Amino acid sequence: MANVNNPYLELTKELNRGRLRALLSSGQAVVVHRLAIMSKDGDWLLREDAEAVTHALEVLSRRGAWYRFGAPLDLRWLANGWSAHLEFRRGPLRLRIDFVTRPPRIGAEWLQGIWETAQASGTEVVGLEPLAALKLTNREKDYAVVGELARLMTDPRAQFLYSRSSRDLIELASKHPAELAEGLRQRPLLAHIGEGREALEEALDRERRALMRANEERLSRYQVAAESWAAKWPAVRRQIEGLPLLEAHRVMTSAAAGTLPFAPGPGGDS
Amino acid sequence: MSGPRDEFLSEEDLDLRNLSDDELVAYWNLWLEQAQATNELDAQLYSHGVFEREPEDPASPGVHVAARIRR
Repeated sequence: MANVNNPYLELTKELNRGRLRALLSSGQAVVVHRLAIMSKDGDWLLREDAEAVTHALEVLSRRGAWYRFGAPLDLRWLANGWSAHLEFRRGPLRLRIDFVTRPPRIGAEWLQGIWETAQASGTEVVGLEPLAALKLTNREKDYAVVGELARLMTDPRAQFLYSRSSRDLIELASKHPAELAEGLRQRPLLAHIGEGREALEEALDRERRALMRANEERLSRYQVAAESWAAKWPAVRRQIEGLPLLEAHRVMTSAAAGTLPFAPGPGGDS
Repeated sequence: MSGPRDEFLSEEDLDLRNLSDDELVAYWNLWLEQAQATNELDAQLYSHGVFEREPEDPASPGVHVAARIRR
């Protein structure tokens, strides 16, 4: 986008100064893809290396950001799927800055491909397919976004994997039988296309509920693993209140070590 | 596609496609400013990541850490 006079686009540019380190994700990426504006918070997929983390901390330190409850912006936690959460004020705006390096539902090989594609194309925003995968959450409203993201995809194989519309799927199947056969291996729901709209819509509902439960279970694993850290957090928050971010980061990392496990438990990063 | 289609988002949401870059950014920024009205309501909540809610501060029962500090 040529005009970057927006707090999230500006921050993305700053995070990527000199090197691609961060891809704008989730709700703000949905805006860049010109679908709905539904979220006021920012979320970035951060490259999982020490330089990227250090640069992000320095950028946010200059903005006067502070930590919210979450994991420290430290690779030991981020590499296990934890998220780090910061916040700062800009004029009337409360800007929330959330980072992950291991996004849910995106495997290591795909993640590597996302970075390679972004590097090659110069994009700083998560693309349509990974964005759709990220939006398969436990929130109903995200499935409406996935449905529209699928319509923006140009590859029928991708549309088969993410479409939420029985009508769209039936029409796609009539035009792209080879891609349907390929998609069946990854999305069992597609086997219901030949049974008509009613059966397909029931299957779409079942699939959505199963995806929502899977994400709830994923979050629950992290919540359980973070119980001791949550109990400690009010004291840690008082300790870091008013400190420059880089100093607060050192205090927070030291406090989290031994309290917040690096890995949440089996299956936590999927 | 001809005929009716499954609707996910409103026409207003989808109309972002018809905006120029400058119009989109202006609308986006205005939306963000207006959305600040709910900051008190969602001070403890998370939109992304693996955390869902700021822990409650036992020193001030019923008050979450973020709310206490920013009051």
